[in-house]
This record gives sequence, C-alpha cells and structure tokens, in this order.
Amino acid sequence: MTRFKIIAGGPLEITGFFRIADSTGRIIAREEPVFLCRCGESKNKPYCDSSHKRNGFSE
Amino acid sequence: MNIRPIELFLNAEPEEERFMNDPRNRQYTNGEITVFWIPSKCIHATTCFRELIEVFNPGRRPWVNMEGAPSRKIAEVVNKCPTQAIIWKYNKDLSESERLAQREVTREEENPQTLTGPEEEKAKPQQERIKPSNIRIMKDGPIVVEGNFKILGKDGDELKPSIMTSFCRCGNSKNMPYCDGTHRKIGFTDDTL
Repeated sequence: MTRFKIIAGGPLEITGFFRIADSTGRIIAREEPVFLCRCGESKNKPYCDSSHKRNGFSE
Repeated sequence: MNIRPIELFLNAEPEEERFMNDPRNRQYTNGEITVFWIPSKCIHATTCFRELIEVFNPGRRPWVNMEGAPSRKIAEVVNKCPTQAIIWKYNKDLSESERLAQREVTREEENPQTLTGPEEEKAKPQQERIKPSNIRIMKDGPIVVEGNFKILGKDGDELKPSIMTSFCRCGNSKNMPYCDGTHRKIGFTDDTL
C-alpha cells in the first residue's frame, strides 16, 4: 500500500511500495520517502526544494 | 459536427450486449452524444485526461463531466483511446436498451466504490495486492497515480479511495490537491530556466 500525504502549503509526501517514472516510462526513483513539488516553483522538479516556503504557497 | 465514432462495436449487437451486461460500465451524456466507459478495457493509457482533463478527471466523481467541453472535442479525444475503453455515439443512434440504461444511470448516484471494485480487489491473491503503485510525472502536467494507495489530505483526513488519480503539480488547481487542467492555461513548465 502506497501512502500519499498532502502536506499543507507544501509538497506531496510518498511512502510505501511504489515506483516513479517520467512521461516516457523511465524509472526515476523508487526510494522512500519522496517529496514531490506541488507549488510549481521548485528548481529541482519534480522534487520539492522548499520553494513553497519562499513563495507563500497555499491552497 | 463532421466527426464520426470509431466503428467498433457500434451496430455490432453481441458487443453491445456485453456492454449492457457488465454493471461496472457507465454511460455519460450531454444530450447530444453519449460516452460509454468500459473499465475492463481500460489500460490507463491516460490519453483521455492528458488531452481533456476538463471532461475526463479521475480525481472527481463522476469522473466524466460532459459539460466540460463541446461534443466535437469530446468525440475527438474519445476516438484516441487506444483500447476503446471509452467510445461514443450520437444520442439519436442509441439503441432501445441503451436509452433505457441511460435513464437508470442518471437516477443512480455514482458511487466510487462501484467503480473501484473493492470486492474484486479483496478477492485478489495477497501477492497481487502488494504490487507497487505506479506514479508518473507527466511533462508540464500532473502526477498520475495508479495502483493500491491511500491519500491523506492536508488536514490529516483520508480522502476518497480510488485506483487512479492525478495530483496538481503547477500549484494553481482550483480542485486541490487534484489536477483540473489549469497547468495548460497558465503555461506551467518543468523547465527551470
């Protein structure tokens, strides 16, 4: 079972058994936990780089 | 509208019967055309919602919103489904049984439980259930997820279960945490230049 946790004003945390692929199907990560950017402004996409704290991301 | 349905099971009676016989199948209409969804044929190619998330959105219930785009656009995208898990017909071409089924569907409140097939899931052997979830980062688009997973919302509450969904990555969805197609309107890009 994979768990997705929406962190308020922050990234998507993924734990459990999963794999992540880019749009061509290439596996880019499968280690846990992974934090994916949700604010759209990370300089290290698809991963979070804490840009949400600087840009005041909220939803 | 000079676009035509894929000539697959249209007019082929046995296929049509099969459609009517599987209770998981669904049909959606805007009054002009009807889209049929056959989950057993869906391989999650994601073509439908990558091209038209305003209509096909796995994060919503019901997941098909026939008001999200003009018939012509819906028909175009439906025709691109590689497995014909979604197909369409003009309402004027519906058979009698399809017309009857349509009335039932509009009365019935669509329940995600019936779509995700929890009984089927439980019946699977243990080793099948521990298959990894597949997570795909769509270029300039959302995070698409399929498999066996749960979602905890920002307040710690567990969100609606499903077997497939898409999370917003552009930061501007009006339906957080899910994708609603806004990334296209704002020109979201993965490029960090």
